[in-house]
Amino acid sequence: MTLQTTGILPRLGHGVGKSADAVTAFLLVQPILVTMGGLVFYPLVDTAWDSLHRVNPMQPGTPFVGLANYTRMFSDREVGQAWLNTFRYVGICVLAETVFGVLAAALINQLRTGRRWVLAAIVLPWALPGVVSGVIWQWIFSPGPGLLNGLLVMLGFDYEGHLWFNDATSAMLGICTVHVWRMMPLTIVIVLAAMQTIPGELYEAARMDGASRLVMFRNITLPLIRGAIAVAMTNATVQAFNLFDEAIVLARNSVETRTILIQIYLEAFKKFNFSYGMALSLTVTFVSLAISLGYVLRIHRTTRLD
Amino acid sequence: MKEPRYVRVAVWAGVALLLLWSLVPIYWTLASSLTPTVEFNQRPIHLFPQQPTFQHYFRLLGVLDGRLGGVDVASGFRLALFNSIVTAGAATVLCVLMSLLAAYAFARLEFPGRGLLFSAVVATLAVPGYAVLIPLFRLMVSLHQIDAYLGVTLIYVSAFLPLSLWLLKGVMDSLPRSLEDAARIDGAGHMRILFSIIAPIAAPGLTSAAILTFIGAWGQYVVPLVFSPKNTKPLTVLIPEFAGKNFVDYGLIMAGGSIAIVVPCLLVVVLNRYLIAGLLAGSTK
Repeated sequence: MTLQTTGILPRLGHGVGKSADAVTAFLLVQPILVTMGGLVFYPLVDTAWDSLHRVNPMQPGTPFVGLANYTRMFSDREVGQAWLNTFRYVGICVLAETVFGVLAAALINQLRTGRRWVLAAIVLPWALPGVVSGVIWQWIFSPGPGLLNGLLVMLGFDYEGHLWFNDATSAMLGICTVHVWRMMPLTIVIVLAAMQTIPGELYEAARMDGASRLVMFRNITLPLIRGAIAVAMTNATVQAFNLFDEAIVLARNSVETRTILIQIYLEAFKKFNFSYGMALSLTVTFVSLAISLGYVLRIHRTTRLD
Repeated sequence: MKEPRYVRVAVWAGVALLLLWSLVPIYWTLASSLTPTVEFNQRPIHLFPQQPTFQHYFRLLGVLDGRLGGVDVASGFRLALFNSIVTAGAATVLCVLMSLLAAYAFARLEFPGRGLLFSAVVATLAVPGYAVLIPLFRLMVSLHQIDAYLGVTLIYVSAFLPLSLWLLKGVMDSLPRSLEDAARIDGAGHMRILFSIIAPIAAPGLTSAAILTFIGAWGQYVVPLVFSPKNTKPLTVLIPEFAGKNFVDYGLIMAGGSIAIVVPCLLVVVLNRYLIAGLLAGSTK
């Protein structure tokens, strides 16, 4: 073994080791390649391919139909409504999570003690199963024995037996509440981490100059956490596009509150229009990626201009 | 520098509000699970159970006879609890193990296609699960893996592998190689180096990857709804079913919900440092 330090041998050994390393490496990545290949890459290609065919277990054969599955979306009223709902959910949830999430992070950032425990408590809703959160809030929103009506009545408002899921607007706001409850922790964690990297001297200097808290927040904090906000908004957008659990628990599959994902689920697994469902899911994937990319580019551009 | 008192008070008031928003629904779940059914409709509303009872848990776990519309609740619940633990647990172990092996190869070994393979796997983080749900369903039907533990576990693994791999590769890239070099000179092989030197140092990263995978798999709904309709049905699919068409047994639902949220809650409380590290690494890719 001491020979290896002589200079020539290591290089030789390196050459032999290299091909041996490659064999070891292939063995090590094998499980991942098989799993990802079989369960992600192959199905992804299959989705793209089958979306150009008519695939329905109730009908024989899988004839090529070109873009028919894609053009069909435009005349499908239910799909149109589901898109509209999804965009509303995305708009409301991303806005609420970003605004309240940044505020919450700023508050937690002011804490000197107990920050870790406050953060742990705030992350809890994120860690719970989505359907269980849906069920919990369904109980809170329930008209007779629900906590929300109970508290409102206690405070003197006339909400005895109020039905929160009787009209589309309040039902959607209810679903958004649950989604924001679940997903805001992610925004808080991401933004807070960025705030913690801002050097304290910046604030000290600003304070010397007599800057108020609001001015410091706007002129120091916000510009420096812009990247983190973009990341958080990207996450929030993708999550809001994925909205399924809360909506299906709170409002079943009512057309008025249905998300595009619920539409896909019903289309594929209740009506067995597999290829149409595939075309829809690919479209949703592209739209959510495009929007996320939009944020990233926008933030990237504005930060560079600064 | 001293801050004015009103600022401190405002900060604490804000934080208190934030804590209430986050924790009240969880508290209410636990409180309701201990409230006898007759108390639910009392007004004004009680914020604490007046006569706490374990009757919902007894019915749920089969200590008392609990039939809901002629269906045996307890045996279904026990099976679902078992299924949740088995699938989420197995997915976590497999996912972390597979990504540990691969992360070592990607971080430490030279092989053709290394960069491309790594990017391809990590890029699937951007692919939402539903994009592959339908072809997966057809694949699993042809492999007879519908309502089978293996099928649904492997789907979870494939969903959480990219994040786990990304995390662990990052951890390994940041570890100094001097220890490994010393071990290699002493004749240690790759597996020896990986499991007795790298894995112990990378334990925080492994913990982060494991918690994220476990919490993610534990909370899955759409995947088991499609792939685990009967015998492998987990808690997430079972609990909403308690809300029947004609009546909703909220006591039972809240008791079941409490059991389903206790596991992730404990993980967050005990391991929150690793969880937050993992969340950050995962979100800023």
